[in-house]
Amino acid sequence: MRALKISLIFIFAIASALYAQDENKLADLSRQIIEAKTSAEFYGPFEELKEEYFSRSAIQSEGGIPQDAGKDNKYSDFIDFLKSLSAKKDIAGPFINYYIALTRYNQLKSLEEKQLWDEYFSKGNDYRDELARLSQKAIDATMADDALNIYSRLLLWQFHKDQQDSSSEGALQGLMNSLLEYSKAANDVKLIKEAADKLYSYAEKGKAKELYKIYVDKIISSEIKDEALLVSASGFYKEGNLDLSETLYDVYIDRLAKSGGKEKLLPVLKELAKDFSYKDQGFNDPAYAEKLFKRMEEDAGSDVFDEELMYMRAFNLEKSKEYPKAKEAYLDLLKRYPGAQYADEANFKAAVIYTYILRDIKNARPIFEALAQKEGIPPQALSSLYQLGLVSQWENDFVKAKEYYNKLLEKAGASFAQTTAMVKERLKEIEESRPMEYNLRVFLDLSLKEENKEFDMTKIALSASPYESNKEKTVNITSTVYTTTSGCMEIQLQYLWSEDLGAKQPIPLALPAFDTTYADKGTKIIGLVVVSPSGVVDRSMVMVDVN
Amino acid sequence: MSVVRKAAGRRIFLAACGFLLFVCLLGAGDSPNPRAKTYIKKLKNGHYQLIVDKKPYIVKGACYSPIPIGQNHEYDWWSDPNKPWIADGKLMKEMGLNTIRIYQPGENPEAVKRVLKDLYELYGIRVIMGHWLGFWEYPCPFYGDRFFQDKIKKEVFEMVELYKDEPGILFWSLGNENNYSCLRDVNIWPSEEVDKEPDPQKQKAIRARIYYSFINELTKQIHQIDPNHPVALGNGELVGLDFAKDYAPDIDLVACIIYRGKTFGNLFNSLKATFDRPIVLAEFGADAYDSYLQKEDQNMQAFFLESQWRQIYENLANSKAGAGNCLGGTMFEWTDEWWKHDENNPDSWKAHDTGAGWSNGSYYFDIKAEGNKNMNEEWFGIVSLSEELENGLNKRLPRKAYYVLREFWSKPALNNTKKRVKK
Repeated sequence: MRALKISLIFIFAIASALYAQDENKLADLSRQIIEAKTSAEFYGPFEELKEEYFSRSAIQSEGGIPQDAGKDNKYSDFIDFLKSLSAKKDIAGPFINYYIALTRYNQLKSLEEKQLWDEYFSKGNDYRDELARLSQKAIDATMADDALNIYSRLLLWQFHKDQQDSSSEGALQGLMNSLLEYSKAANDVKLIKEAADKLYSYAEKGKAKELYKIYVDKIISSEIKDEALLVSASGFYKEGNLDLSETLYDVYIDRLAKSGGKEKLLPVLKELAKDFSYKDQGFNDPAYAEKLFKRMEEDAGSDVFDEELMYMRAFNLEKSKEYPKAKEAYLDLLKRYPGAQYADEANFKAAVIYTYILRDIKNARPIFEALAQKEGIPPQALSSLYQLGLVSQWENDFVKAKEYYNKLLEKAGASFAQTTAMVKERLKEIEESRPMEYNLRVFLDLSLKEENKEFDMTKIALSASPYESNKEKTVNITSTVYTTTSGCMEIQLQYLWSEDLGAKQPIPLALPAFDTTYADKGTKIIGLVVVSPSGVVDRSMVMVDVN
Repeated sequence: MSVVRKAAGRRIFLAACGFLLFVCLLGAGDSPNPRAKTYIKKLKNGHYQLIVDKKPYIVKGACYSPIPIGQNHEYDWWSDPNKPWIADGKLMKEMGLNTIRIYQPGENPEAVKRVLKDLYELYGIRVIMGHWLGFWEYPCPFYGDRFFQDKIKKEVFEMVELYKDEPGILFWSLGNENNYSCLRDVNIWPSEEVDKEPDPQKQKAIRARIYYSFINELTKQIHQIDPNHPVALGNGELVGLDFAKDYAPDIDLVACIIYRGKTFGNLFNSLKATFDRPIVLAEFGADAYDSYLQKEDQNMQAFFLESQWRQIYENLANSKAGAGNCLGGTMFEWTDEWWKHDENNPDSWKAHDTGAGWSNGSYYFDIKAEGNKNMNEEWFGIVSLSEELENGLNKRLPRKAYYVLREFWSKPALNNTKKRVKK
């Protein structure tokens, strides 16, 4: 009991000491504001004050001093504090107005997030009114070359944008005009990037890009050194701001091309292409990666690509659904490196693209046949036999189909249980003179028949996560159908899944997505046809590699 | 002619000019039928106002379908001896609501007239009278079929003839989301012309032309029968209004069904650019059940509704930054309807089902519910229903939204940095 008492006294003493320390800090910051002679001197103390004030609340709470955090009093307390400052320092008015508005903005967000509805409904309109009024006052009291003007406009726009109200367009225009003015005069370009980031996060990508361009131009015109440029570009890549990163890399690449020649440029392009190429995890931009691959090709010819890079380029194109280009890239890889590590996969994928994307069985067949002849039991050999059997069955050449299927069973023996199960199902259909499984038949009809060209995979976004998986690991298959709204009357879509669905079979018709696992290695094909009450919407296909 | 007579003539001439000027000023703006009891006025700034009895009228309304617990949509509430509209009208008036939207009048004209009279005379509540235009007829609405069209025309014109002189009528509304049968995959219908066309996109365009041309025929005839009330096109979202612009130019306003969550996005400006007609938000709102947490959440409903009404007010005529083409709205809906979730199972009409029927990510609080289904059809009421009876009716229990909107309508707060809009 005594120990507990001592502990409590000790905690209280620490909390009191911290509290006293914070009080001193607040007093010190208040004094700095009161003694400030120019508006430039306000920025630091106000920002510190805000940080200090809100972190103080957190310390109080952690220190065990009772605090009614649930009511979010810290916002109102801070506003009272700011208002008390206003009485002491006239020229700080615009800053005080801005910080009150900002606090109200955060307070409203917090009320909504924490669902503190009593305060939201009773005070929400007053807070919104104060926010709009005071940020406007801060704008009116400052010029466009003043950072406070930009911050206030940004806040006002954010507020209207969040509400999606009719003032948001005007607020955005005002913000952009001021930013352009500001950028002409200002040396500090951080604010421009800050505004661009905010606009980007609100999906105002066009406007954000305009600002990023100004920011980049400013950086370049500031005669930034190559090394610093590279660090900036890499920093933005790590932040996930790929647009900005790519713009800076482009400048860096151009500089390097002029100063260092191919020898210096090519390794950089190679590394960057690797960074930006498709991968299941981490930031990537396959389109930018392809741009870099192209530049490498133009600058140094295709000889500069080694096996790994050629595969990477083809895979990147495949994942960005540039299928015809991916097919060419896989075939180029095979031409240059017939014995490549990824030769079977590249051959198989080229044949799959011929079949399902280009409706060109004639060119696909010899590739599948060649793979099927392979010694041993490489997964792509089995998959090729299955595809050859499937196409023959679809063409009603059941003798040929049985031949392929039986060869597959013989080759696989006891392994590749999922693949052999599919084959046995197909053989049963032939033996019992049953039509091919409905979903599969529809998928093949739409994918292989020339007359169904209109179903060009543009109305369904089909994806897998991850695209490169391991045996027995969960793979998520997701489809999104591009249909427009129909209010409360939802259109009932049917999802006809087919081909390699792994352990999850059958997939219910109503499911637009599912998780599955694969027991066998190889490249898996997932087919989908989406049907609405008025007929087929589209079909699609993806490939997943199981290692 | 003497000098005196010349001067008198000049005075008469000047007076006539003054009078003409006065008349011109009175008629400023484009008013198709200013003598009508209710009409739409286009202001000089391109904004629109609904004028009722010579005064601007903001539609502050709710969709009305007071089905008691245990009944379904076939229940004839118009003939209910307990007169639900009396209890509801009182609550509505106290809330500040001035309009209800009805999807289609009941079968008995006398009962319908009594409801219209009671609501108007006792509470000053006006009615937007709608017609389904056979949208739910089995197997589908054959808008391309002349017999079907004639049947619907007969019903609609009879409705207009019957109720046009009722003082409570605000305007007519044709259809609800019937455009989805042309341009989406809901209740799609065949026709000789459509069936000949193999291209699905062209099929849709043909259906839209047929449907909106039919709407225009109806509208023109209604204008003949009743020049005193405007005609609205009930439309799901803005879908197909580019066709309506060409094929239904006689429509006076659009009555759109919009479920976009917190606000209506760019709706008002989009409409202006597509089909320059005023709009009444004929169906919008939020349910009061959190599908994720599996419990009633009146605050969530009130939050969405208040925000939606704020945007409606921002886009009324003479608004500072808004499009100025909004005339108001009728939110969905006045009371809960317990039959809606499992509508073919009479047992479930007695239960307040918590199952959600559809998904809408704009209502983000409960979008993480199973299958993302978060829209609970039985929980949209501004007032909920109790199984306890009061004067023979399920007791009405106003939800939070009732009080929040009552407050909003009395003091609309728009936070647009300039002076607030008066009621």
